[in-house]
Amino acid sequence: MKKSNPLTGMGKGYTLAEAMAEADRCLLCHDAPCSAGCPGGTDPGTFIRKLKFRNVTGAIRTIKRNNILGGACGALCPTAQLCERECSATGLVGGPIQIGKIQRALVEHAWAVGFRPLEKAERRREKIAVVGSGPAGLSCAAELAQTGFSVTVFEAKAKAGGVLRYGVPAYRFDPKFLDRELKDLVALGVVFKCSAPIRGPGAAEKLLKKGFAAVFLAPGLWEPIRLQDSAPSLPGLFTATEFLCALRDGKQAQIGKSIRGKRVAVIGGGSVAMDSAESAWRLGARDVYLVYRRSYTQMPAEEDERQDLLRSGIHFLLLNQPVGYRTGARGRLQAIQLVRTELGELDASGRRRPVEVKGSQWELPVDAVIEAIGAKAVPGGEGIAPSVKRTRDGLIPVDSKTGATSAKMIFAGGDIVRGPALIIEAVQDGKTAAHAIRRRLQK
Amino acid sequence: MAKPVDLSVDFCGFKLRNPFMLSSSPVSNSAEMVERAFEAGWAGVAYKTIVSDRLPIIHPSPRMNGYFGGGKKLLGVQNVEQTSDRGLKANLLDIMYLKKHWPDRLVMSSIMGFSNQEWADLSKASEDAGADMLEVNVSCPHMTVEGSGAKVGQVQDLVQKFTETCRNSCRIPIVAKMTPNITDITVPALYAKKGGADAIAAINSVAGLSGVGVDDWVPNPNVFGKGAASGFTGPAIKPIGLRYVAELAKCRELGLPLSGIGGIETWVDALEYLLIGSTTIQVTTGIIHYGQQIVESMIEGLSDYLASKKIARVGDLIGKALPNLHETHDFDLSRQGVARYDLDRCIGCGQCYTVCKDAGGWALDWDAQKRRPVLDEKKCLSCMVCSFACPVDGLITFKEMPPTYRRADTVTLGKGLEKQLKAKI
Repeated sequence: MKKSNPLTGMGKGYTLAEAMAEADRCLLCHDAPCSAGCPGGTDPGTFIRKLKFRNVTGAIRTIKRNNILGGACGALCPTAQLCERECSATGLVGGPIQIGKIQRALVEHAWAVGFRPLEKAERRREKIAVVGSGPAGLSCAAELAQTGFSVTVFEAKAKAGGVLRYGVPAYRFDPKFLDRELKDLVALGVVFKCSAPIRGPGAAEKLLKKGFAAVFLAPGLWEPIRLQDSAPSLPGLFTATEFLCALRDGKQAQIGKSIRGKRVAVIGGGSVAMDSAESAWRLGARDVYLVYRRSYTQMPAEEDERQDLLRSGIHFLLLNQPVGYRTGARGRLQAIQLVRTELGELDASGRRRPVEVKGSQWELPVDAVIEAIGAKAVPGGEGIAPSVKRTRDGLIPVDSKTGATSAKMIFAGGDIVRGPALIIEAVQDGKTAAHAIRRRLQK
Repeated sequence: MAKPVDLSVDFCGFKLRNPFMLSSSPVSNSAEMVERAFEAGWAGVAYKTIVSDRLPIIHPSPRMNGYFGGGKKLLGVQNVEQTSDRGLKANLLDIMYLKKHWPDRLVMSSIMGFSNQEWADLSKASEDAGADMLEVNVSCPHMTVEGSGAKVGQVQDLVQKFTETCRNSCRIPIVAKMTPNITDITVPALYAKKGGADAIAAINSVAGLSGVGVDDWVPNPNVFGKGAASGFTGPAIKPIGLRYVAELAKCRELGLPLSGIGGIETWVDALEYLLIGSTTIQVTTGIIHYGQQIVESMIEGLSDYLASKKIARVGDLIGKALPNLHETHDFDLSRQGVARYDLDRCIGCGQCYTVCKDAGGWALDWDAQKRRPVLDEKKCLSCMVCSFACPVDGLITFKEMPPTYRRADTVTLGKGLEKQLKAKI
């Protein structure tokens, strides 16, 4: 990673030949542990076996039938913590089979040769509404479309994809790649209505009245959690949500002005914090500080992401709790106020709790700060579906076997149910709800 | 420093610095090429088969097709390359050049006549050019000239006749190169001996089809819409080469020195050919795939092997495996064994379990919790297929069982159907 790299240019994946060579290392495990390691039902044990025995089309079919976002997941899934962690070849020379890369290559190969593994089923009369076009919504839509339902996806933003488009920097996931994967849904007959937010009191229930047989709610979590509840609106202070969105919305030049040549602090230790820090670095920040209140090993971000950042020269400020900002003349951000922490007893997450060290407050002079400490449900979102029960945090509790909410024929999945979760978990939610919807409507 | 070992061998009176030679093939096409190989350490060459200028030699295009096993590991090459397409004069000058500049290397002139007279002329011309030996090519399986190559090698009296012609035309030793595309390789070898051959080279390429185009349905190599069975070589044919060389070495009536050929890439392959009775070995496909430099590790590897075994001369190894080579009916069937598992090293992939169920004796159970196989020695066939599948080298080995060991019978599912069995047994 070089400084001032463009923010686009997702790395190339395996060629088909490379994927086959990698598949050739697969041990063809009995009761394949990799396949048990995916929360989204991905079955690498089967698709890699198929590839190894030159059944390329069959391998693609196995991937795409299970997961319409097979390409996106191949590129973005933290496989090292999931399927690849279970791989029996881990202890052998060469390490675990690069399952994610094989999966991505197969999906890209299908696109390159025009192979369509999925077929439309016989048309049914029922229409289904999907609210939100993130991984959960897309997965649900594809699953239902394959069983013949007419599916309409309502998306508030200008383009479909949710976090895949607006939450991941383009150098990690190219919007063109996403557009290609979305075509697979269009080919199944899924209708997308973008810039079409479901708004107003009882909007979800109204969809049912308007003739949709079921509604799947997957709006995601788009309200940033702030360092301070009454977050000041300061020039140079961004949330990761707005920062990353802006980079994808063509506002790169504008936001670049606040970053290029500047000292930037990113607060957080998760994948979004990593993406924010790397994006700031690529935009040409003079110094990027990653401020995290816990230790290196406690960071939720993937190990190789963290290593990439360290290698590129991003400063990790561990065991430091941000407590506020100092501003100068005309409200300009001048410094971030930090308190050193040390690790104490275990907390609810099973990790040692960061405890502030008394009297250790200090200031790091910065020109910009990006807060990447999480996201929550958009306040007021419950209004669109008043019959659906919510938790205090605004999340929607569902029956985990069906995705059913407290309201009849309204289902939900993805981050709005789980809180921040993996793409593949959202994919699973979409499928779970789709299966339940189909069962209900067959009765 | 260990005592230096002697890799030299005597082949028909010529002392080679080591047993490693280039075979007559694309890798020995010109003096330029052979000189580079001599610089790399090869001790001799069977120069690319020369022919008279009477018939033009045109190679089909493309000439070769690779045969791969998983990934890019080349298991073999199918080729349709003919004898040398260069003029006879150019080839003879190249042979002269090699002998002038590399007098200590064995230069064998491989020849093929398309008439009795041509065999005579080529023998004489080779001797005059300074070749140390002749290699009589009666074994190329894919000549486009009808009635030549292996077509001759499969007709015993022609083998004898042409060898005799060569014998009567020159005084240098004659090596007859045998085709494996025959049932009993000792038959043509004995006819060659009758014709006056001093040694036998084996094997030439195995006639094969290395693949078929699945889109155009043309066998490979696809020569403008036509395919043909032709010479297949490389590691895939090594077991065939070893077997034929062993049969020639075991044949008392023959009793000629042998030059072993077929799938040699490493010093281990070469050693096996020596142990089974070859005095020299020849290589083509290994060079086609990896280059001449493979000889470096052949020389060093064989030297270190000899040193570790405290064997002074490579010549002492020749034929050492022959006393242990028997017919299958000689096996001692009273001794039985089973597979032994070193489960401390197991990585839990379970392939052993799969193949034991699908191809073995149903001797393995599967502990799903621990992800480990559980062996029932009573059922183990000692087929060892589990050891082929196991990715951990040496985890599964063979062990002999005491004489009291009895293998359990294979389960019969149809026991309840006994009354319905019509056959009287």
